[in-house]
Amino acid sequence: MNNTLERLLAKVVAGLIFTLPLIVTDIQASDWPTGDDIAQHINARDEGKAVSRKLTMAMIDRSGKKRVRQTRGFRKYYGQEKRSVLFYLSPKNLKGTAFLTYDFPAKDRDDDQWLYLPAMRKVRRISAADRGDYFLGTDFTYEDIKLETKVSIEDYTRKTIGEDEVDGFHCYIVEALPVDEKTTRELGYSRVEQCVDDEIWMVRRSRFWDARGKLLKTILSEDIRQVQGIWTQHRIEVENHKTKHRTIFTFSEVDYATDVRDAVFTRKAIRRGL
Amino acid sequence: MDSPGAQRAFWLITAYPRVVIAIGLLLIVIFAAFIPTLHKDTRADAFIPPDHPALLFREKVRKIFGLQDPMVIALVNDGPHGVFNPHSLMLVEWLTRRLEDVQNIDPDGITSLATENNIIGTSDGMLVEPFFEVPPRSQQEADAVSRAVMGFPLYLGSLVSRDGTGTLVVAELLDQVKAQSVYEDLQEIVRQAPLEKGERLYLAGEGAVAGYMGAYVDADAFRLQPIAGLVIALVCFVAFRTLRGTLLPNLVVVAAAASALGIMAAAGISFFVITNAMPVVLIGIAVADSIHILSQYYEDVALNPGDHPRDVTVRTMVQMWRPVTLTSLTTMAGFLGLYFASVMPPMQYFGLFSLIGVGVAWLYSLTVVPAVLSLLKLKPSNAYRRGSGVGSPDVDVFGNILAVMGKAVMRFPRLILVAASAIVVIGVIGASRIQLDEMLIRVFDPGEPLRVADKAINEVFDGSHYLDIMVETPEPEDLFKPENLQRIEALQNYLETLPHVKGTTSIVDYLKQMNKALNEDRIEEYHLPDTLDLVAQYFLLYSVSGNPTDFQEEVDYDYRLANVRARLDDGRYSIGKSVVEAAGHYIDTKFNAPGINANLSGRVNVDYHWIKRLGEGHIISVIISLLLVWIVAGISFRSVVAGTIVLLPVVITILMIYAVMGFTGIWLSIGTSMFAAISIGLGVDFSVHTTERLQTLMCESRLSIDEAIEKLYPSTGRALLFNFAALALGFGVLLISKVIVLHEFGVLVAVAMGTSFIVSMTVLPALLKVFKPRFIRQDNPGISKPAVQAKPAE
Repeated sequence: MNNTLERLLAKVVAGLIFTLPLIVTDIQASDWPTGDDIAQHINARDEGKAVSRKLTMAMIDRSGKKRVRQTRGFRKYYGQEKRSVLFYLSPKNLKGTAFLTYDFPAKDRDDDQWLYLPAMRKVRRISAADRGDYFLGTDFTYEDIKLETKVSIEDYTRKTIGEDEVDGFHCYIVEALPVDEKTTRELGYSRVEQCVDDEIWMVRRSRFWDARGKLLKTILSEDIRQVQGIWTQHRIEVENHKTKHRTIFTFSEVDYATDVRDAVFTRKAIRRGL
Repeated sequence: MDSPGAQRAFWLITAYPRVVIAIGLLLIVIFAAFIPTLHKDTRADAFIPPDHPALLFREKVRKIFGLQDPMVIALVNDGPHGVFNPHSLMLVEWLTRRLEDVQNIDPDGITSLATENNIIGTSDGMLVEPFFEVPPRSQQEADAVSRAVMGFPLYLGSLVSRDGTGTLVVAELLDQVKAQSVYEDLQEIVRQAPLEKGERLYLAGEGAVAGYMGAYVDADAFRLQPIAGLVIALVCFVAFRTLRGTLLPNLVVVAAAASALGIMAAAGISFFVITNAMPVVLIGIAVADSIHILSQYYEDVALNPGDHPRDVTVRTMVQMWRPVTLTSLTTMAGFLGLYFASVMPPMQYFGLFSLIGVGVAWLYSLTVVPAVLSLLKLKPSNAYRRGSGVGSPDVDVFGNILAVMGKAVMRFPRLILVAASAIVVIGVIGASRIQLDEMLIRVFDPGEPLRVADKAINEVFDGSHYLDIMVETPEPEDLFKPENLQRIEALQNYLETLPHVKGTTSIVDYLKQMNKALNEDRIEEYHLPDTLDLVAQYFLLYSVSGNPTDFQEEVDYDYRLANVRARLDDGRYSIGKSVVEAAGHYIDTKFNAPGINANLSGRVNVDYHWIKRLGEGHIISVIISLLLVWIVAGISFRSVVAGTIVLLPVVITILMIYAVMGFTGIWLSIGTSMFAAISIGLGVDFSVHTTERLQTLMCESRLSIDEAIEKLYPSTGRALLFNFAALALGFGVLLISKVIVLHEFGVLVAVAMGTSFIVSMTVLPALLKVFKPRFIRQDNPGISKPAVQAKPAE
């Protein structure tokens, strides 16, 4: 009895907390850039034609046990097409493993992926993963990885719903909803909420809700500073709230200035190694 | 009157009868007020002391690998394609989606053909993808799913039956405590499921057992307790045929049951499955004291109808307080034995709180009962008519039947003793044949859907009884080492040779499947990869399309700990025992080595550890109870011989039950192991009353043994008959219990009561007649002084 009352009260209060800002929002909405404006700003940002960097991937399970992989990665744009390659440096038993991806802009064309496993001495073509599949044991999906710091225009309808501060930087909160059921299923998200820094147009915090409407994960982009004039995130942390699994990406030795040779993005190169 | 102390005490009690009654009623209300706060704990684990190492270790293993007690829905299809037809696979999908919407089921914790991934070899790689995204539309597509599943040995016997006739939908709960409501929701889903001809659904699993047990036990209690109360009221009515004779014992019963449960609730002790028997048992036991008091009361009323009620009451109490106290003490001694000897908390508390209930019954019988009687006008019972006999009232048909019995005893005492000796011999032989065994699903009636489902699942699949073995290595990624993986593989191979182990799974099976997939799906490549790097890279390759948490039930995140799960298709302790012992021996002698070791866990191991001690607990409880009863009886009669003779009928009774168990194959199990201590404590009441009365008649009334025996039967014998009837019927009510553990317990105690009663009324007098021990002889020097001794006011 008491419990029911309490819950009811909590609902009412929660309802007020959530609806009041909405009312205020409507008044202010005209001052805010629209969701689409913000998305365009984000995607217009310079990411550099090519980049080389070290990436340390730390995966941590719910009990705090950790797997750490060090890699060197390269990425280069060929117009709209994007090629990237990841060479494992450690642990020892994965050294020499390499993962090559060609992302094609055309929606109906599957990406090409190859994996070289030194223990098998063979480059294997990996069937295109679903966009919502997890990337190499991390909490990022292939779609998250592919977008990097960009956002997908055609998958979502977006709306600016508020303002916030993340790490002391002013942000607009953009709510993105998948355009249809099919997209929700593919991506594994029914709602995304991004806090976008309107100074540098980078997403500093994203929260994702799963297809059943439960909070799924949070991605935090941190240690954002300019490298050779390009705003670069040096640390990304994801936490899956359901599995309590976490992933921390740390970037170092980021270099946009030196061009990356096209030959790096070939099967021969991943076989030969760095 | 040579017990002035007792005399004074009962004058005092009857001086303020209304105060005594008011306090008595108030206490009942106070006790009863606590009962609603009782917390029910019907988990199987509740039978085990919470700090038992086997239980703690299993909890640790469950935490590491995220293992749970799931709900299991089995779909069985006897048709030509088994479950691999479009409709059945659609049904699996349907069930899976419905389960996702059930509150308190983890939508990501559902395992079925609709959720699990296949590891497929492709021309140049490996693909991890669902067996089907949408259920197959045609038989050809279903056949393709069948081929895929049948090519994945890991799922055979566990997710899909080896012959393809059945498949499981397994769901994990977010909160195990709410299992009951989830079970009810699943029952509804199973009811609504669109079944086609040949399709059957079964709902079972550890989670279901936990979920159903609560409701099952509640329903049982609601069925048992009113019937027990009614039966006892009936016994009392037949015995005394008066309103007070029917209601007074029931007042004592209410006090006993309310206090036992109320104090239990106040102490924060949970209500366990077997606690269900406690109120019923107390109903039968608590009534005994007042039956004896009322018997004496009505005899006195029949003899002295003109006396003042208070005089009659005090006279009755002075005569009866000693045997009533003595029998209460011995009954409590039996429960105390159970409390001390049992390894199981539910049994310990059953002993402890029954003891309290018996104590309260005794207290009410000696205070509230005389207080009430002293207030009531004397009204003779039709069962006790004043007759022609001098000094003893004529009695009814029951008294007459017993009188005949007495005559038989006097005629053939030696024959009776020979028969008793024969029972002893047969009992010893029978005891040696008793098997210790138990099976937790046996709590449920064999006709219960849950038990039917459990049986079907264990027949169709590899089995739902898990022996988990945690393999431990010192350093992260030590499990990548081929020699360690081969050791695990050898362990699995050994386990699968053991009887009733139908299948085993571990990370090794996944690696073999990956190896096969990466070698063009050739069946001869279903073996472990042979280098450490290969193992590491297989896992990386898997992670390209698998989930980060995919192997958490098989291996920890550091690749340092692995879980090997063996499935047994039989939940009997005896089966688990042989597997646990064989596996333990193998691990000690063949598996453990520097850098790797293994430990047993899982339900099978936990059950093994505590049921193992059931037998030893039983023997200790019997010894403690016999010892306590012997001491109590010896002190009361101030004679070691008397204590021993009083004990003889219960020893014969226990041996008789052993004979029945040994020759009919009744297991020594949770329920039956409790019978002995309780039967000793209760059964000895008959011999105490008999001996006490004979001693009184012979030593004080100076009667010969034959005269004493003749007098014994119609009065004390009659009271004992109703005492026995109340107990036997009280425990007999457990016969209609659907909790099989309680059912067996009730049967054995009821039979034991009958045996004790008969032995006390035959063997005991025969023994006294033949051997004439000193404590009943008239020259017994002890008879002149006993302070605790009472005799009829004459």
